[in-house]
Amino acid sequence: MHDAQMQLTKKSRFSRNLRKLGRALSQDPVGTIGLLILLAIIAMSTLGPLWFPLDEISNPDLILSAPSAEHFLGTDHLGRDIWAQVVSGGRELLVLAFLTASIAVVLGIFLGSFSALIGGKFDEALLFLADVWLTIPRFPLLVVLSGFFRLSSVTLAIVLAILSWAGLYRTIRAEVLSLKTRDFVEVSFMLDMSMLHIIFKEIMPNMMGFIAANFTLLMRAAIYSQVGLVFLGLLPLDQNWGVMINVAWNQGVIYNPSSIWFLLAPTIVICLLILSLVWISRSLEEIFNPGLQK
Amino acid sequence: MTKNTRTGTDSSQKNRLLDIQDLSIEYRTKRGRLQAVHKASLRVDAGESVAIIGESGCGKTTLATSIVRMLPLNARISHGRILYRRSDDEQTRLDTASERELRTIRWSDIVMMFQTSQSSFNPVARIRTQFLDTAQAHEPNSDPQEILQRSKKLLELVYLDGEAILQAYPHELSGGMKQRTMIALALLLQPKLVILDEPTTALDLITQKKILELLNSLRETLGFSMIFITHDLGIVTQLADRVVTMYAGSVVEDAPSRSFFTSPRHPYSKGLLHAIPKLDAEFEELYSIPGNTPDLVEKIEGCLFAPRCEFALGMCRTTIPSLDEVEQGRKVACHVFGINGKSDKTSSSGGNA
Amino acid sequence: MKREFVIFLIKKLAKVLFTVWVVTTLIFFLIRLMPSNPIQQYVQNLVVQYGMTYEEASARASSLFSIDLDANVFSQYIRYLQQAARLDFGTSFLSPGVQVSEIIAARLPWTLFTVGSGLLLSFIVGTVLGAIAAYRRESWYEPIISGVSSFLSAIPDFLIAIFLILFFGVFTWGGRGSIIPIFQLRGNFSPGATIGWNWEFIGSVLDHAMVPILTYFFSQIGIWVLLMKGSTAGCLNADYATIARARGLRPGKILGSYIGRNAMLPIVTEFAMRLGFIIGGSLIIEQLFVYQGIGLELLKATSNRDYPLMQGIFLIMTVAIVLSNLLAEILYGVLDLRIRAKGGSRHA
Repeated sequence: MHDAQMQLTKKSRFSRNLRKLGRALSQDPVGTIGLLILLAIIAMSTLGPLWFPLDEISNPDLILSAPSAEHFLGTDHLGRDIWAQVVSGGRELLVLAFLTASIAVVLGIFLGSFSALIGGKFDEALLFLADVWLTIPRFPLLVVLSGFFRLSSVTLAIVLAILSWAGLYRTIRAEVLSLKTRDFVEVSFMLDMSMLHIIFKEIMPNMMGFIAANFTLLMRAAIYSQVGLVFLGLLPLDQNWGVMINVAWNQGVIYNPSSIWFLLAPTIVICLLILSLVWISRSLEEIFNPGLQK
Repeated sequence: MTKNTRTGTDSSQKNRLLDIQDLSIEYRTKRGRLQAVHKASLRVDAGESVAIIGESGCGKTTLATSIVRMLPLNARISHGRILYRRSDDEQTRLDTASERELRTIRWSDIVMMFQTSQSSFNPVARIRTQFLDTAQAHEPNSDPQEILQRSKKLLELVYLDGEAILQAYPHELSGGMKQRTMIALALLLQPKLVILDEPTTALDLITQKKILELLNSLRETLGFSMIFITHDLGIVTQLADRVVTMYAGSVVEDAPSRSFFTSPRHPYSKGLLHAIPKLDAEFEELYSIPGNTPDLVEKIEGCLFAPRCEFALGMCRTTIPSLDEVEQGRKVACHVFGINGKSDKTSSSGGNA
Repeated sequence: MKREFVIFLIKKLAKVLFTVWVVTTLIFFLIRLMPSNPIQQYVQNLVVQYGMTYEEASARASSLFSIDLDANVFSQYIRYLQQAARLDFGTSFLSPGVQVSEIIAARLPWTLFTVGSGLLLSFIVGTVLGAIAAYRRESWYEPIISGVSSFLSAIPDFLIAIFLILFFGVFTWGGRGSIIPIFQLRGNFSPGATIGWNWEFIGSVLDHAMVPILTYFFSQIGIWVLLMKGSTAGCLNADYATIARARGLRPGKILGSYIGRNAMLPIVTEFAMRLGFIIGGSLIIEQLFVYQGIGLELLKATSNRDYPLMQGIFLIMTVAIVLSNLLAEILYGVLDLRIRAKGGSRHA
């Protein structure tokens, strides 16, 4: 009986959230635009390369040429089409950002929930550790680490996720603590349900919006770190907007105004991506926490 | 139709401190225009204490706030005048006065005391600074020491340690202390009129009693007029000379305190008094006026109380009754019990419906 | 009340010392336990490339790292801590004989100058704009202020730098060349200037610092505007603001002494916190402007595998953050004693 009831509430809660999402997004222009931009970028990065394949070979005649009908954004220092590079430069970035955010969110949820639910010395110690951890500057640490390790894209995702544990841990712990005193959790404790069960079935559904908002912000941090490292030449990646900026910069593109798109295009599209993520996260926050700062 | 022409001696012009005439206030809301106050009239004489009673949403706070023109941005005075007698030969129209002029009147002439809360005082400044700020806003050249002396004396009048309070920060004071400090601050510039909004809600009964006694004695000593808003009929008996009853934005009765309690005229007033539980009553269900307050956005014909009134006649639903003087110093807005209706006490009345 | 505060301070200091100790230890073991143990690598290098014997190479490494390679890890660690306390971080690999602390001392002021100026300017302008945005919510320009701030706060700082470089140094406006000559966007000061307290030098320093400072300015200002707007909006609704108006106080006075001072409180502590973090952001920005500050130095050290230097700079950065957090906590403690009723903790 209890299970059936739970099933019912879970399903209706989910569909209720979904409907809330749809309704709220339609009322929130900024969030909707953000979502559209994100979808557009995803579409471009996944489908684009099929229509705009990369120029594999360099074309000495067309070095650093201005935009033309054939090459929308001109060509780079090796005569290759810039637009094609823009189109294919996002895929790796998006996948890695998504991966990083996912791992970090899982880590944060587990650590935060456990810590809050178990409480006591464990919680205190972990919280203290998190405080100390948060004082370490993340980007310089990444830079230093890259001096010791050869970072590949996947290891970067994992390392980045691990490095970001403290922030999400703290916020999730706070949320869980506030939910902990709510009736339905106490009842679960009384009914002697396992910790995992409590976390997944009871607490998480109530934090979905919160988690979603944090997810997008984590993606943003991952993108920042990735592009930053690639730009500094510390991360050997192949086709990537960060690489484009790096190469463009090192090739002194700024001294050659006609091929400025080599530098400008990836910059703009990264900005668009991050903006869309931030807008989405803000409207997600509004949806699940209405009237925050009115 | 015999009007009671002997309206008696009106308080002489010079005594009439505040004269609100036919005031209407509306709010612009998402659903439309909300008529919060409709053609309300109210007079306060020097030294008088008037209570405005009514249930939540009847417009009493809106009416009071409009006197010092501190209504919210979406509110608007759509009709009527507010006349304030600043001095023997000067009368100001508060409803049209400029913000600058109002600033000189606020607190030094008319004090609007909102409900004192935890954050009534600036949290980051000492109490003395706030007293000084207030005085200097109106008398820029006054001597700070003199102001502080005055403040100390006032604080002592409200049974507080002047020196200690002035030095303190707001968070160091208890709720009751803040309330009393606020009263002292209110009297700093010797105002002529003090408006209090729910002065004793949120206070425990003992502090409540003390505050009421305080207000009475201060009024005797310093001689200011008082308007206070409340839904607690208990304190009305202790503080008020006159009682004004409001319902759904209109003034329905305006009577001397004693007459109001012994023989209320308006059905709503009767209902309110009937609803007060008696100590020696038998164990029975408490009376409450049947029905609900009307939606003030919709336009309603006739008397707004009619739907809930057991005495309602046909004309009650078509024509709004006007607030007329039924006997000396007493006004009622009712077709049945007002000037044209039958009086409660005697069977003979001068009027025909 | 005073005693409570002293205890509070002591606890905070203890936490700071503990944090610094944890970080220094972390760095120490990072180096020792890395797969490519830099010290061993260095020794190997010396043996292989210069034909030294292992002992000679070890001795050399010892002096450079200021460690005793023969001693066990633990005593090495103690020695390391002792030296760190004396601010002795060893000598740089690449510039043998030059103390790491010297290098840091030479570079750090530049970063502090640019980062600090940008932070200060954005704080001042941002809080004023934020207060205006909250106070004049109904005006036509408020959405612009909020919108632009929101926009700016989202864009990564180095991308702002690129935009600014393009805008000022590359794009030709009206066909007459860029606004700022491109060489001014590199380096700390003009190559020809003689260093010293003369106008030419100071002038060129300011010239070269202008766009970097502008970068820090734009990357931060959005946050300050939004924070201040939120804080002020909260205060505008507070009772004491309404009552202040009922008391006949002038709007200027209310905005300043009543609303402003209350709204600033959470912002000030935020400011103290940010002091440290921005130093981390300087890495890419100094790379873009080839600005010889601590960020660029860390990058150079990393690419050169100059481990003592990397170690030292990283430590300094972390200490800066720890100290600024401490400052923020102390500030909050001081202010909190006065406004205890306001409640609400800074952290979640």
